[in-house]
Amino acid sequence: MSMGRFLLKRSAQGILVVWGVVTVVFGLRYVTPGNPITFVAPLDASQELRQQIATELGLNRPFYVQYFDYLLNLLQGDMGYSYIRGVEASGLIFARLPATLELAVAASIVAVVISIPLGVISATRRHEPADYAATSFSLVGISTPNFWLGIMLVLILSVQFSLFPTSRRGIGLYPALTMLVTQFQVSGLITWLNHITLPAITLGTYFTALITRLTRSGMLDELGKPYVRSSRAKGLPETLVRYKHALRNTLIPVITVLGLQLGTLIGGAVITEAVFAWPGLGTLLINAINARDWPLIQGSLIVIGMGFVVINIFVDALYAYINPQVVH
Amino acid sequence: MAHDEGPSRRKFLTAAGAAAATASVAGCTGGGGQETTTTETDTTTEGTETTEENGGDGEEFAVTITQGQMPSTLDPQNHRETPTDNVVLHAYEGVLGREQDGTIVEKLATAYERQEPGRIRFTIREGVTFHNGDQLTPQDVAFSINRIVQEDVGIASPQSDQLAGVTGAEVVDGERAVDVMSDGINPVVFSLFATYCDVMQQSWVQERSKSEVAQQMNGTGPFQLEEYQSDVKVEFSNYEDYWREPAAVTSLTFRAASESSTRVNQLVEGETDIVVNVPPQDVSRVRNSGSAKISAAPSTRVIYNAMKYNVEPFSSPKFRRAMNHAVNLDSIIENVLSGFADPTGQPTLEGFFGYNSDVNPYPYDVEQAEQLVEESGHAGASITLHTPVGRYLKDLEVAQAVANQIDQLSNVSCSVQQRDFGTLAGELTDGNLETSPDFYLIGWGNATFDASQTIIPLLTTDGALSSYSNEEVDSMMEQAQSQGDQDQREQTLQSVNQTLHDQAPWIFLNRQYSVYGVQNRIQWQARRDERIDAYAMAPADGQ
Repeated sequence: MSMGRFLLKRSAQGILVVWGVVTVVFGLRYVTPGNPITFVAPLDASQELRQQIATELGLNRPFYVQYFDYLLNLLQGDMGYSYIRGVEASGLIFARLPATLELAVAASIVAVVISIPLGVISATRRHEPADYAATSFSLVGISTPNFWLGIMLVLILSVQFSLFPTSRRGIGLYPALTMLVTQFQVSGLITWLNHITLPAITLGTYFTALITRLTRSGMLDELGKPYVRSSRAKGLPETLVRYKHALRNTLIPVITVLGLQLGTLIGGAVITEAVFAWPGLGTLLINAINARDWPLIQGSLIVIGMGFVVINIFVDALYAYINPQVVH
Repeated sequence: MAHDEGPSRRKFLTAAGAAAATASVAGCTGGGGQETTTTETDTTTEGTETTEENGGDGEEFAVTITQGQMPSTLDPQNHRETPTDNVVLHAYEGVLGREQDGTIVEKLATAYERQEPGRIRFTIREGVTFHNGDQLTPQDVAFSINRIVQEDVGIASPQSDQLAGVTGAEVVDGERAVDVMSDGINPVVFSLFATYCDVMQQSWVQERSKSEVAQQMNGTGPFQLEEYQSDVKVEFSNYEDYWREPAAVTSLTFRAASESSTRVNQLVEGETDIVVNVPPQDVSRVRNSGSAKISAAPSTRVIYNAMKYNVEPFSSPKFRRAMNHAVNLDSIIENVLSGFADPTGQPTLEGFFGYNSDVNPYPYDVEQAEQLVEESGHAGASITLHTPVGRYLKDLEVAQAVANQIDQLSNVSCSVQQRDFGTLAGELTDGNLETSPDFYLIGWGNATFDASQTIIPLLTTDGALSSYSNEEVDSMMEQAQSQGDQDQREQTLQSVNQTLHDQAPWIFLNRQYSVYGVQNRIQWQARRDERIDAYAMAPADGQ
């Protein structure tokens, strides 16, 4: 199978998955207790007002009509109107997406930059103090709840030492970069970095710990393999053996995990977003769930689902590129 | 070796780098919509931001307010939430308004009077302009009222029940006045207009889509919209052509942080000026910060435990009274709510029209409670208190304390069941008493300062979320709603409150307080109706 066909097949599967997500998410509203009208209408609203609102929101039409309508609209990029806010759900979601992506990518960068060297050091200096330090770090990192870490970072670094702002996004990366390019001002970028540092560390810590462990065990695995021994026997320099051959093979499974985790970060940054009042998709989704704002819930989940699918296809492609065997 | 056939390390890193770059660029360009490219240079100096803005020429007075949530819309007539009101009411105004203590004052009306039963007249103020420069006309006022109460005027407004009884409005020929028609006498109509019904400009609304009305503003209020980033911030500047003196606050920003500890951190760090709902455990932190203080006010919200009148053991008034005696309300207020609450003994709060000052909270008396349970014939009863979590200040903790104290009685056992607010509210509002839990904690806010707006929906037979039915109460409330004479009406309402105290359809709990954290540089007093009125803010002396 050629690479093109491989990608085509993966994309087709992806579309099916997204359709499945849409259907499940749409079905969920019928098994979830709590009527959206309760939230749109006041508690003491008369039954007539409730009826009026139900008609206006189209909630009294049969299930299948609502479903097919939704699918049809979705194909045209229309996710419907938020019940509570009365504006297009897609507008709200795409306005929030950059904040979440920035946070997820920043957390991943924090994770990759720290974890891979740490894992390598840990594996190559097995049973030495550096290894113990690295494994202890990853144990702590994995077992620390990130809301606690976030609150502690804020209390110590922001409130006590005033090094970082306590919360909020300050400025988006895009406007910060625009400012840099058009006005030659770095202050926007500095603000952005200032605001994103603590949330990115909070969100990235678990991830860092996970990849450190994965890199360490993968590396140990590779270093014990016959090809490493024969390379060493042939007299190849140790750095070449470690970093060119062993590390590259170690990184293949790491990429898969990285991709999957990036998806998780996009969907699962909810707690971090709440602690740092970060205006991302996580907070939007939680608010929408609390308000039973179904068009918004559906839209956010579909976008998150699509994010997973796209990242997966991308990871598959990268994987196939590094290891062409998977194409066949 | 097979491994050597793969790409080089450099190639791999290039690919990974490109991936990261693509992802981040995709993230940034995906903005569109409401994400604006406006830059916030002020945020580069976080921590000193607010004081810096206040510095300079000495006339700038910028204020940032952080609530628990952002407004869901900027359309003042298409929502029913206090956080949204708090934002939109800076740009929009009603015909009447309220002082900090709840007294009714004229706003866009200069006079209001009853013409005949079912018809009142507002005289509309002259010289008021909308933020787009147009003059306010009586047509705009009539349109705004009709947009709320009449479904065919634009939207099915969720506020139509707030103007209960109002059927429509029309401009009076030849005069600068608007007549408002109601079913029946509608004794609370001015009270309703003092709290609800924000005036919008007819042509402005009609020229815009629903979605545009939800994202732009054009009111007559002291502040005009500068910038709106949905879920991020709403920024206002003071409106210089305001019909009263322009506001002292020159720029006003609303932000949101759902976590109370995040809000308190922002306040302590000087990143914001006013935060809502400071939890009792953080009050001392604010006070000790040196830069901020606490401002608290009794709100218009009463917290109570409803007991369904038609199921055992709650069908017995003796059992219901026993439950009131079993609860040590003072201890709950002191220990759970840190003193930020008042005890209640009737559904109507102090300061409301119809409050009966002769009625006191039930005293804590375990022996009497146990004896009343015996007399009711329900000794050995086992009951469950349903409570929402996180909807009201310390709701779960209050419910747990109540249940625990009832459980201490030798002849009743009580447990708590935590509920999702949406589901619980759905059960209470479906118009069917059978689906409601038998015993539940809930809160009720009533910003009209009139007893009827609590008693009718909650404690009359046909009330929208009633848990109680009593012919005497029903007929007295009907009487109150047709009494034009205010003294007689007050007496009727007071005796309803006495009856309800004696019948004990609820365990009367506390009046909730609104607790705010405020920077010392701002002079501002918390209000009873939960509104944050920036027009009333001024720089504190010596700041």
